[in-house]
Amino acid sequence: MNGPSLEEVLRHRRVLVCVGAGGVGKTTLAAAVAMRAAALGRSALVCTIDPARRLANALGLTWLGNAPTEVSAEVLAGAGIRLAAPLQNRFYQTLSTALAGSQEYIALERLGQLRDRSDVQLIVLDTPPTAHALDFLDAPSRILDFLDNEAARWLLDPALRASRLSLRLAHWGGGVAAKTIGRIIGGDTLEELAAFLGAVSGMNQGFRERARAVRALLASPETGFLLVAGASPERREEALRFHAVLGDRGLQRDGVVVNRVQEQPPASAETELEGLPEPLRGALARTLGEARALAERDRLSVRLLRDGTAPVPLVAVPRFPSEIHDLRALWRAGSYLLGEAAIL
Amino acid sequence: MSGLLDRRLLLVTGKGGVGKSTVAASLALRLASAGLRTLLCEVNADRRLGRMLGHPGVGPEVTPVEPNLSMVDLEPDAAMREYVLSKIRLERVYRAVFENRMVRYFLRFVPSLAETVMLGKVMWHLRQWPDAPGGFDRIVLDLPATGHALTLLGVPQSLVSALPSGPMSTEAGWMLDLLTDPVITSAVLVSLPEELPVNETLELAQALRSRLRVRVGAVVLNQSVESRFGKADLSALASRPGLTALVQTYEEDARRSEEAVERLRAIDAPLVQLPRLVTPEVGRGELVSLGDALAEGLR
Repeated sequence: MNGPSLEEVLRHRRVLVCVGAGGVGKTTLAAAVAMRAAALGRSALVCTIDPARRLANALGLTWLGNAPTEVSAEVLAGAGIRLAAPLQNRFYQTLSTALAGSQEYIALERLGQLRDRSDVQLIVLDTPPTAHALDFLDAPSRILDFLDNEAARWLLDPALRASRLSLRLAHWGGGVAAKTIGRIIGGDTLEELAAFLGAVSGMNQGFRERARAVRALLASPETGFLLVAGASPERREEALRFHAVLGDRGLQRDGVVVNRVQEQPPASAETELEGLPEPLRGALARTLGEARALAERDRLSVRLLRDGTAPVPLVAVPRFPSEIHDLRALWRAGSYLLGEAAIL
Repeated sequence: MSGLLDRRLLLVTGKGGVGKSTVAASLALRLASAGLRTLLCEVNADRRLGRMLGHPGVGPEVTPVEPNLSMVDLEPDAAMREYVLSKIRLERVYRAVFENRMVRYFLRFVPSLAETVMLGKVMWHLRQWPDAPGGFDRIVLDLPATGHALTLLGVPQSLVSALPSGPMSTEAGWMLDLLTDPVITSAVLVSLPEELPVNETLELAQALRSRLRVRVGAVVLNQSVESRFGKADLSALASRPGLTALVQTYEEDARRSEEAVERLRAIDAPLVQLPRLVTPEVGRGELVSLGDALAEGLR
């Protein structure tokens, strides 16, 4: 493998951001990464801004809220995973239940806060399944752009901190402008936004500093990006585009994970067809042909991804016979991430 | 005849990565080949459908691409301008308000504004009589993934409930009427034979029905695998480890498909299973055959 391996990344990174299209298994792999980092002796926190409760599903928890929650040592032990003693209390995750649309801001808030915690050595950030999966990267700049703008400063005038922004909006331009905007965007939305901006303006300076810090953090040497890709043709092209975007922005590309790769049936399978009666033989031959075609398709995808993303380390994680929704399966997925097991 | 393909607006949605765009493109090709003038819309999707169908240049303008088929990739900025300016009553106000620098900054932070104007554009086309010049018999809307789709479709309802009566509330009112009219609009929910996508499909169906009152016209189980082997077959393969593993893997996939079908039956709508494709690329040939399979399954 060229460059640093994923194990190096897990050992030394401060922040690891998992990016990729919706449905490729980002959340699951983010959980696997954090678990393996914890097992390597680091306190790891995995944070998702996905409104669905998938991370909780993956970790076998029934509930996750906005506050970091501990996965108990008993749960881990029950799944056959033993962690070194000091780590038992340090495997945290958090789930933001922010409303759609505010997710990116809330995520930044969380990332900013979490980063300041001295008890967390690695933050693994799972990103939301947006149509444009990399919008997230622009959130700090958008916020700073907004806060530093003359117009926005007026809107968020410190003198107004005590008053409700919605009131201010209602008086804006004799109310016509606010009313018109309200009519286009919906009164409740306007209220929501006003409340959000009101909250922001109340902590304007701190917020600005955090947004700046987060923007710096995303670009800093402490932070790396793990691109999660699927092996299907559509997924492959998408992943190559994401990879290019990350590079264009000068962000650190720590690794590419191709998830759910179909493996070839053994070479002996064709010989085994000999002497079998029809129609069983025909059905088997057809099934075998399809399985080979699928595996070949995935092999081609992995090769194209490897060529397109070199020298960034790439690992392929095979499709598991059943879905990953317990800790044991997560651990197994992790063995491919760390090169303890490998395909292709 | 009153099947799904008779609805004028088909809303295709599901969890990310389940094949929504593939299903939307297949449906649109099928409708167009049946002689129906069809508009295929995607929502700010980087021209994905355009690339899939070999028309990569289609942008935010409605563009005829093939006989009976037009396409558009809705984009918030273009839709915003077009939509607001199309309201004659607001034209004067648009310049005064929406071209104000301060307001533009402000609007970038409104979560559902983009959705409102993009949905408005689709609904405007739906509202035109099909036989009017440039009218469409069918509109296929390739929606974003679940959460964003619900936000998008929920916009007229929240506008109606939040606004006092006036021009915008009237706009939202007819949009809501069209969306909730089961004769005009049907949602097509795309799923995969995996636990989480099925969970999400069930939640989505529930939200569409009870919260948004949008009819679910069909559930499509993509990449479905049908059982081919029984216990007797497996015992016939006793001394053949490679084939045994092959059959086990295949039957595991088939079992998952069956399980998904069983769970998806809880949704009161026809269920169509699309076969798993093993080709290296999904090209036009595959889309056409999926379209045929959809039409067949919905008969």
